[in-house]
Amino acid sequence: MARRPEPMSLERVRELVGEPSEAAVGKVRDHVDHHVHRFIAHSPFVCLATAHADGTADCSPRGDYPGFVKVLDERTLAIPDRVGNNRLDTFENLATDPRIGLVFLVPGHHETLRVNGTAYPTEDPDVLARLEAEGKTPKVAIVVRVREVYLHCGRAVLRSRIWDPESFALAELVPTLGEVIADRLGNPAVSADAIDADLARTAYKTLY
Amino acid sequence: MGAAPGTAPVLVVEEVRPVAEGVRAVTLRAPDGGALAPWTPGAHMDVELPNRLRRQYSLCGDPADTARYRIAVKHEALSRGASEYVHLFLRPGTALRVSEPRSTFPGRTAPGTLYIAGGIGITAVLAMYLRDVRDGRGPALRYAGRGRAGMPFLDELPGTGDVVVAAADEGRRLDLAALARDAADGTEVVACGPPRMVAAVEETFGAERFGPVHVERFRAEPRSFADDAPFTAECARSGRTVAVPAGETLLDALLREDVAVAAGCREGVCGSCAVTVLDGEPEHRDLLGAPPGRMYPCVSRSTTEKLVLDL
Repeated sequence: MARRPEPMSLERVRELVGEPSEAAVGKVRDHVDHHVHRFIAHSPFVCLATAHADGTADCSPRGDYPGFVKVLDERTLAIPDRVGNNRLDTFENLATDPRIGLVFLVPGHHETLRVNGTAYPTEDPDVLARLEAEGKTPKVAIVVRVREVYLHCGRAVLRSRIWDPESFALAELVPTLGEVIADRLGNPAVSADAIDADLARTAYKTLY
Repeated sequence: MGAAPGTAPVLVVEEVRPVAEGVRAVTLRAPDGGALAPWTPGAHMDVELPNRLRRQYSLCGDPADTARYRIAVKHEALSRGASEYVHLFLRPGTALRVSEPRSTFPGRTAPGTLYIAGGIGITAVLAMYLRDVRDGRGPALRYAGRGRAGMPFLDELPGTGDVVVAAADEGRRLDLAALARDAADGTEVVACGPPRMVAAVEETFGAERFGPVHVERFRAEPRSFADDAPFTAECARSGRTVAVPAGETLLDALLREDVAVAAGCREGVCGSCAVTVLDGEPEHRDLLGAPPGRMYPCVSRSTTEKLVLDL
């Protein structure tokens, strides 16, 4: 096994990285203003970070049509829970620790939107009605009470070239889910192509 | 025939303008400013917003103005994302995909037709009413709403016509029973408004002595049907057979198998997804009244084990 890297203290990190700029500290707001609302209204993708009271952490992607996360008021968001793997990691975490951190992306946009706060599940019909998509209303929604909102500077996105179409070639160099599953199964009768074709025909066709 | 997105024409937002409290009118033009496809009063079209949501909006402008279409959108309190987008985020210059205009209303109505509009429902009947006024066909308009401030296009109604505005905050409500009592035999009715109003109009004017009643709904009211039975849909042109289990709509099953069908309201009210039935007996669940040989796969199913569709 590779040598386990040594941890370091926060003080040492601060010493090496330097102090934050005033702009970086002052950009944090406690509510959704019209610029932030516009960002959320055009975002088709958000990552939800939650933690369990036992200390384990989780980060879960959610995506849909742009604006699928609704701004109920300037301190409240609603995120639909669409069909997925039913693992309920996010809900199990929220039941023990309501804190949540969100990162919203807008394709082509350099900055990401960060929202931190607390969250809880709801089946409030007025909330679910607003989250209908493709004629289907979700059974559950996550309500986020906003505590901090800020635009995260675009250096990470710029360095990553994530929105550069040339970057799409990277996907060809990564195994498909079918390849990963077939490798783990180790059954020569079940090919990676067959699993990928099956996923394309079933799971990836039933998005709602 | 709601063209599929991608092949549909792209128009450009010319202006977004408040026309009443909570209502914005949007005018659309061709990118080159050229002539748009013609439309008849009563027509609506699909509009795909930048957030990919597609909705059906009535054309409520002047059909003689071939350079622009006008629609009007009410900001719904429980917006699923379309009316909110139009009200908070839509900007002039934005390109939007639209379908060709189409109509579920008759192209021509009888003289003395009674138009009944509730709130934003005025958008569906305004151009028809104004056409009948211009053609000297003596139409009547009853326009109901919560209050004048939230009722668009009051300023576009000619002062001399047979118009009654029933604003609830002035203590005036639409009295359908009285309206029916005073209406001549054979009166044709065109109505658009909230589900309860439309249902009341259909009931009141469904009586034998009146002419046809044409209605358009914003959204379908909740209804119940017999349990879904599974069936198969055979697509005659592509040669595909699609199994439609209970709990899945025919439209979703077709799309799942990559059979191209335009999806619209998914509630059986807009007509976007109409398909031609070659064999089998559809179980119609739409609110449009499918013409013989046609069905709306977003809601309608089959009473026979197999449907053969012209797809």
